[in-house]
Amino acid sequence: MRLWLDAMWGIMRRDAILFISYRTQFVSQVLGPLFSLVVFYYISKLLTSNTLQSPGGYFGYVVIGLAIVQILTISLGVMPMTIRQELVSGTIERFLVSAHGPVNGIFGTMLFPLVNALFSGTLLLVFAAVIFGLPLAATAVLAIPVALLGTFAFMPFALILVSMVIAFKQVSSASQFIVTAVAIVGGLYFPIALLPGWIEWAAEVQPFTPATDLLRHLLVDTPLEHSAALDLGKLVAFTVVLFPVAIACLRTSIRYGQRTGTIAEY
Amino acid sequence: MSQPLLKIDDLYHRWKGPRPPILDGVDLSLGEGEVTWVGGRNGAGKTTLLRLAAGILLPQRGSVHIGELSSHARGTYQRKIGFLSAGDRGLQARMRVRQQLDYWARLAYVDRKLRPQIVELNLERFGLVEFADRRVDRMSMGQRQRIRLALAFLHEPEVILLDEPRNSLDDEGYALLAAQSERAAARGATILWCSPRGEDRVIECDASYSLEEGKLVPV
Repeated sequence: MRLWLDAMWGIMRRDAILFISYRTQFVSQVLGPLFSLVVFYYISKLLTSNTLQSPGGYFGYVVIGLAIVQILTISLGVMPMTIRQELVSGTIERFLVSAHGPVNGIFGTMLFPLVNALFSGTLLLVFAAVIFGLPLAATAVLAIPVALLGTFAFMPFALILVSMVIAFKQVSSASQFIVTAVAIVGGLYFPIALLPGWIEWAAEVQPFTPATDLLRHLLVDTPLEHSAALDLGKLVAFTVVLFPVAIACLRTSIRYGQRTGTIAEY
Repeated sequence: MSQPLLKIDDLYHRWKGPRPPILDGVDLSLGEGEVTWVGGRNGAGKTTLLRLAAGILLPQRGSVHIGELSSHARGTYQRKIGFLSAGDRGLQARMRVRQQLDYWARLAYVDRKLRPQIVELNLERFGLVEFADRRVDRMSMGQRQRIRLALAFLHEPEVILLDEPRNSLDDEGYALLAAQSERAAARGATILWCSPRGEDRVIECDASYSLEEGKLVPV
């Protein structure tokens, strides 16, 4: 276990070193959310809606959506790209010939982007509160464990995308599609109630809706669509069900690549 | 020959498409402390053979064992393997040399207490001390090859698989490689060294083969 943790830490440290070595990446990661906030701050000035019931108005509503999109873009967008990069540079071969192994190695590769995504989402909320005066609820601190649970529930989607990268080598359009679809059916920019009835079911079959609902409630005091217990239960259930499925997909794609020889291709 | 340490039985691999198998019933037994060279023309299947022996690829038919351990036994098997791929890939370009070795030592499950010492020892063994704090992408191809070799030898594996290890090495680099190969063989490790040209003439080998039409032919 200790050696396993050492290896996981080594992978996180590697990714942090690589991230820091590109200095402008950090700057753009800070400035990007700031520009989004400016845009939505002024759009929210134009909007008045009774549908939202959010004390912070549309700005308070959409900020949580933006923070989650930020987390999704980094975790679902960056992860497959990172693994694709590892295939091209041959560094994934290191995992294959190491005691740590490819599944653990890929799992480890997800850690830094997830920490980074959580940091980035938090930074966006801090900007919204400090610069744009968004009133955060007293329960905001409870959003931390919920965000972590939500992140665990999102991880299987990233793992499945990574499995596809290993099998098909290229899935950047798939990850963009997923982020956009989640933004629509997860209620990130507007309430699900505005969607046509025939698509509303999609809001119930993924973990993003309950995560968004809970985070909005805890951070800006928006009323919950369902009970907190139900939303938490859904998040736990999605994590418990999807994680083994995602790990099985990853193992299968690696095994298939090893058997056919495509694991060494890019 | 001593008791086989690496045993390859009836190994078969066929790439996709209308092509004959690249390996077709390869048998090879390597004992403790032995150095074996496998040559053959470009595309003969040397890299495929090494990737199968390293457990990167899984056999479509046949088996690879280290002692009693099958290449399917992930993790335990890999702890016994040191692998150098052909070419110059597999390094984290923006990491420093010492960081690169430490990173690999962690992946190879080198004991935490021994890790710093082993990293420094291998920097020394492969003539990398003066470059230890330099970023990999700022190093020459020969220097990068030394790092890649250091990674293959670092965790004192029982089986060392080297694919074209002399690539880009200068005389000094080659002397370091030869010395470390001898040292590894002396502690009982077996070395399988593949390259297209007759390197069995420049290193002392216990056996030499050529891969021809998917089969190993003694040279």
